[in-house]
Amino acid sequence: MGQNDKNKMGIQGRHFIFILMAIVVAAPLIFRVGLPLRVTAEVRQVYGFLDRLPPHSAVIFSFDHETSTLPEMVPLAEALLRHCFRKNLKVFGMALLAEGAAVGDDNLRRIGSEYDKKYGEDYLFWGFRPQFTTAILALGERIDHEFPSDYTGQDIRSFPVMEGIENYKDIAAVITVGDGDIPVYWVNYAQARYGVKIIPAVTAVMATTMYPFLQSGQLVGLAAGLKGAAEYEMLIGKPGRAVKGMDAQSGAHIFVIILILVGNTVMIAGRRRKGR
Amino acid sequence: MNYGITVAAILTLAIYSFLYKDNPFYKAAEHILLGVSVGYFVAVTVSTTLIPKLFIPIFSEGKLSYIIPGILGMVMFLRFSKKLSPYSRIPLSIIIGVGAGVSIPAMMQAQIIAQMKATMLPINSLSNIIIIVAVLSVLIYFYFSQPHKGAIGVGAKIGIYFLMIFFGSTFGYTVMARISLLIGRLQFLLGDWLGFID
Amino acid sequence: MHRKLPLLICFALGTFMLVQFFVPHKASTALYEAILDWVQIIYAFSLLVGAMMLIKHHAVIASGRDAKERPFSILILMGITVMLVAGLFFGRGEGTVFHWLFQNVQAPMQATMFSLLSFFVASAAYRGFRARNSQAIFLLVAAIIVMLGRIPVGEIISSYIPKAADWILNVPSMAARRGIYIGIALGTIATSLRVILGIERTYLGGK
Repeated sequence: MGQNDKNKMGIQGRHFIFILMAIVVAAPLIFRVGLPLRVTAEVRQVYGFLDRLPPHSAVIFSFDHETSTLPEMVPLAEALLRHCFRKNLKVFGMALLAEGAAVGDDNLRRIGSEYDKKYGEDYLFWGFRPQFTTAILALGERIDHEFPSDYTGQDIRSFPVMEGIENYKDIAAVITVGDGDIPVYWVNYAQARYGVKIIPAVTAVMATTMYPFLQSGQLVGLAAGLKGAAEYEMLIGKPGRAVKGMDAQSGAHIFVIILILVGNTVMIAGRRRKGR
Repeated sequence: MNYGITVAAILTLAIYSFLYKDNPFYKAAEHILLGVSVGYFVAVTVSTTLIPKLFIPIFSEGKLSYIIPGILGMVMFLRFSKKLSPYSRIPLSIIIGVGAGVSIPAMMQAQIIAQMKATMLPINSLSNIIIIVAVLSVLIYFYFSQPHKGAIGVGAKIGIYFLMIFFGSTFGYTVMARISLLIGRLQFLLGDWLGFID
Repeated sequence: MHRKLPLLICFALGTFMLVQFFVPHKASTALYEAILDWVQIIYAFSLLVGAMMLIKHHAVIASGRDAKERPFSILILMGITVMLVAGLFFGRGEGTVFHWLFQNVQAPMQATMFSLLSFFVASAAYRGFRARNSQAIFLLVAAIIVMLGRIPVGEIISSYIPKAADWILNVPSMAARRGIYIGIALGTIATSLRVILGIERTYLGGK
């Protein structure tokens, strides 16, 4: 077999795995089984904390992600926002990554309208700030100095929702919907310095990096990935796309595990053959 | 008919065509994405940061002190000049100096003191013992001032095994994340676009 | 001057921000707030410099003779122009061109681009994820338990699987990550001190 033939074979094999992967994910989306979902303690902690907040408590909802991770970030943000609006909390949106600005503005308005919330009275979107370290620190001094105007360019002090909001001392929690390590920056600069409660809603990739802060009590809880969003949807009693995606998630995990096992079996069989 | 969804679906399929092989449709989509992303980024940075934080204070509120960061910001553009580019390091030194100054107490508080405190657990359960051993052994592994021999070598070796468990669990979560992204896109194609699922 | 001044600025600002943390006096707060503002403004400009570099690079290709690459660079420049003009002059809210382009072009493409990784992860799982030694076995077992423990099927197979996943994440994996965090923090503090004291000067472009 020539080198070219080998490459051809490789490409075909790879394509076969790709097609199987697409089927394994698509089929459960069309033919749903509705496997039972277990809610983890970390997600329950987030839910419990927000649920215990008195009405009209202020929370910052920071969209610290890019559009590349929208399928994970949007369901998480939607579920948490629904809970905040249902509890009549004051929600202040912002973004520490530029792409999060448009996503945040869109999400707040969409979910806000589901609960008849009014922009400027019940929630507000401050906008985007670059250089997250200084932005996080500046909010600890004066919020209206850091964000003199909202995302639409209107004077922030002209909105009734801003009444009595000066800095972190008036904020019950910061919910950071992040796909990178910005939640860690919130811990380093807002939690450590100002004692702000931090709730990370992160991509699954970032989940393991949050556990040290969770165990040390520097985080309130943790909602990670589409699975975290599905658990939260269950807790607020509004199953959505994340819950619907869990069958597909299960199927794909099993498929990847099978691939790992088959790959290793082939390797072990190859070694034995060589040994002989 | 929602043209937006159709456009998004066509572009989505153009990106997925890469799975077969690199092709002009994919390449065109990739370059449109790059262009649109940069345009978005500049528009948002200028309109939501520079205008309220720099232009309005100077031109509407008469806060002339803001001219200084404005000039320093403009100095960054000297990078494009061969002769004057060294001066672009002056504004850079402000960012780096401030970053260094604020990071020392933050790291000390949040990542050393708080984390060490959380590791000082009572030795009354297997999990607690494992946590203490794992933290110490991983720290020994990252201690490069002495050769990893003898007791330090044993500690470092134990540390590697704990790191492998961390990498394994992170890999598990990474698989989960990537699949979630695919689920999201297929929900869009099969649901929002084709209407097969709700 | 262009070498000594940055070192001096770095020392002065670094020291001030450090001292301000421990002595947050009223007199220093105004300066502290101003510095935080300045950094954000300068940083925003630095991001624009990056965008300018990209524009310059593609403007050269677009006006060049490479027939293969030219159309793609023109596409990039068109994308930048349309989005920039739309965002700066015609609003960014719902119903605007900017919003439409973001929702139907940028966001779906970017999300799709990253979702390609799911296919490559599957391919890599078959080809590269091999238990070649004892360390790799630890990695592999942890990965499989977490993958199973975090999905509904794991619970159906055995109630111990989610419990095992929880334990791995909360005990050994968490502790290993904590070791990394502490190591990073020590390294960051050391580097920051070197930067403030002018020992670390790589950002100046020298040795």
